[in-house]
Amino acid sequence: MAVIKINHLTKDYGEGRGIFDIDLSVEKGEVFGYVGTNGSGKTTTIRHIMGFLKAQLGNVEVMGFDSWKDSVEVKKFVSYIPGEIAFPDLRTGTEFLKAQAELLGLKNMDYANYLCEKLQLDTSANLKRMSKGMKQKTAIVAALMANKDILVLDEPTTGLDPLMRETFLEIILEEKEKGKTIFMSSHMFDELEDTCDRVAMIQNGHIVDIVSMTDIYNTPTKTYKIEFTNSTDFKNFKHTRYKIIRVQPQYNQVTVNIPNADISKLMKSLTKYKLKYIAEIEYTLENHFKDVLKKMKEESKNVQ
Amino acid sequence: MFSKALFKQSMKAHWVKWVFVTVATCVMLAIVIIVLGNLGINDIRDSLKNIFVQANQESTVKEQAVDGYELYNTTVDTYGTFSPMISMLGILTTGYQGAIDDYQASLGTDSLTEEQRQSVRESYAQEMASNPLISQFIEGMDAETVKSFFVYIFVSYDTMTNNGTDTASADNDQILINAYTSMVGDMAYAQSIAEEGATEEYAQSRAEGSKEIANAAITEYKAQASAGTITGIEVGSEQFLAIFNPLANDYINNYIQDETYNTIYQENINNGMSESDAELNANEYAVMTKVIANTAITTYQFWIDEKVSEAQENGEEPDLTAIKADARLSASESISDQMPESVALALTELGNMDIYGLIIGSIFYRIAGLLLPMVFVIMTANSLLAGQVDSGSMAYVLSTPTKRRTVTITQMVYLVVALFAMYLLLTVTSVISVFIVGGNNFAINYAEILLFNAGAFLTMFAIAGFCYMCSSLFNRTKYSLGIGGGLTIFSLVCTILGLFGSSVVPSAMRISAMDFFNYLSIITLFDTVSIMNGTLDYLWKFAILLGIGIVTFIIGVFRFEKKDLPL
Repeated sequence: MAVIKINHLTKDYGEGRGIFDIDLSVEKGEVFGYVGTNGSGKTTTIRHIMGFLKAQLGNVEVMGFDSWKDSVEVKKFVSYIPGEIAFPDLRTGTEFLKAQAELLGLKNMDYANYLCEKLQLDTSANLKRMSKGMKQKTAIVAALMANKDILVLDEPTTGLDPLMRETFLEIILEEKEKGKTIFMSSHMFDELEDTCDRVAMIQNGHIVDIVSMTDIYNTPTKTYKIEFTNSTDFKNFKHTRYKIIRVQPQYNQVTVNIPNADISKLMKSLTKYKLKYIAEIEYTLENHFKDVLKKMKEESKNVQ
Repeated sequence: MFSKALFKQSMKAHWVKWVFVTVATCVMLAIVIIVLGNLGINDIRDSLKNIFVQANQESTVKEQAVDGYELYNTTVDTYGTFSPMISMLGILTTGYQGAIDDYQASLGTDSLTEEQRQSVRESYAQEMASNPLISQFIEGMDAETVKSFFVYIFVSYDTMTNNGTDTASADNDQILINAYTSMVGDMAYAQSIAEEGATEEYAQSRAEGSKEIANAAITEYKAQASAGTITGIEVGSEQFLAIFNPLANDYINNYIQDETYNTIYQENINNGMSESDAELNANEYAVMTKVIANTAITTYQFWIDEKVSEAQENGEEPDLTAIKADARLSASESISDQMPESVALALTELGNMDIYGLIIGSIFYRIAGLLLPMVFVIMTANSLLAGQVDSGSMAYVLSTPTKRRTVTITQMVYLVVALFAMYLLLTVTSVISVFIVGGNNFAINYAEILLFNAGAFLTMFAIAGFCYMCSSLFNRTKYSLGIGGGLTIFSLVCTILGLFGSSVVPSAMRISAMDFFNYLSIITLFDTVSIMNGTLDYLWKFAILLGIGIVTFIIGVFRFEKKDLPL
């Protein structure tokens, strides 16, 4: 059963802004990434999941409940980190977490304390004087401490230093281990690569592609960059039948793209040449989406 | 529907502001009531009022003096005219006794009831008054006056002879005196009872006084006659008047002095003064009053002499009745009568102005004391909803299983409870302050001060409802504050400007066009003037304020549920 199901969700703010006909489905235990540039509609989608905005068309169902009509039911399952961090008018982080626990009906603060320790967060600090990173950590603790089944995170790593981001991603993986469903938006591909099972890309309010991370890791072809020590070898290699996608004669470099089945063949044939180095160029999420966008551009040109 | 956790959060977020506003407003109120109460800002008003009260008293004394003087002179004149014809009276009373006997015979009875006697008196007096033989002696009097005087004579005769059974004791002179004084007394009674605010007691005492003066005048005439000082002097002649006018003046002055002394002395004793103090004080007053009476009489006589000689110089017959009426008016003028009318009016109004009602009701409760609670309500109402939506912090509450309606109702309850608690403390402060400055003896009593607090609370309730509604309607603080707070402050400013056009400001300082501003302000529905005047107008205005508050709160609660929140 899909834990989060977004059906034809549309919110038109006019002038091409908004989200249009979003269709997504997040399965139980899945970590779902949601990527897009600033203003592409990530937050608008998430606000619909949280029941803060009313859809013009379509709807969002969480655990079978309509997130607008039954928003209270939905929130029994969902924890949320907002994209913009602003705390209620309270004095310290501790005070805020206590108030939040009271609203959640949470008695046991063990998990909250564990999270604080892990994120090295001193909650006794004054909320108003907290750095952006500290605020973000406080927000993370406030969302995760209730230990709910679904996490909706709007750019949760904003403001965290690289080390803390690592820690946060560890926490996310821990949560995933526990079988939680996570919906997480970001504009950084690498952190989604490390945690997500599937990633959707939104561009100008439209979903342009949904990709499974297994597909990214298990591409049918591999790309290698090869540099030769001399130009003779370089020229000779150019005449072989491997699919060369890029040539940099000034460095005696070629980039080849070959089916996985041909890898050993390539290795064998390379023994004939003197190589300076050989490196695999990994296929990343970023490459994937760049390709998708390039393709879309070409298609739209063709249409014209 | 209600979240304790959220309520606690709101309390924590706003308690500093609340304490500051409440304490500051309470202190201001206490200062206004206690300090100004001890300064006695109503002294000016009271002294102004006293001037007018005294002026009125002065005027009354002068009138009494002139009336007494006139009565004295008229009595002397009348008695002097009638006494030579006293034998005529015998004919009249004998005739009357005859008419009574005839009537008794016709009824076949020995005694008549008082009613039957009265009807005989009336008809016989009528007959005699229209008899030319009789009326030629009393020239210049109209038949009606003559008739009623005859009735008095018959009554007097009946009283003296015990209804005709003791005709031997009929003394014509005494009959005339009795008839005359009781007529004078009745006239004074009728005149006094017709005066504004006159009591039965007052009219009685005036009647007694008139009788006393008439008796005294007659006694004086007899004394002068037996001393021979007026032998050969025609009644009413200049010589005659020259003898009696000073006597009349002296008598009336002393009479008024005695009267005043007795009245004031009794009042002082009743007010708990010691006998010697009461005597001293009463004497002071009495001497002063005597001087006033003397001035009035001198002015009166002087005026008459002037006008009469003026008319005679012009070769006209002086119209004595008109001259005397003018002279009386002029002699009894007081300070306020001598001022231009507009000045007198302005001063009277200033004297009647209720400075405490103005400062505590119209300035403190409607303007100064509203300002801080207003600031509290504007800021708090905004940050309870719109502020949290604008900053995004509302997301934390709404991402827990808390309904939007729970949020709105909890925040509304917080705002109303905070406001109510604030006015509860203000009410306690005001009641204690009023107690300190004298409780119900203070210019503003407990009931009024409680109504002021209730009215201020209802005004703030309506304003809080409006600000809350704005906070619910808008996602941005700038709109919520701009419209909710802006209109609220606009109302307050209009009330300040409107004050200069309202009826609480004395007309000398009032610019009535400024009253227009009162129509633009919701605070106008808090009618402190109606509370001070004891009318019930303020009640329906209170109901409207309550209604505005309830409606705007309800709109706020329902609107928030249905709108998009950018969280």
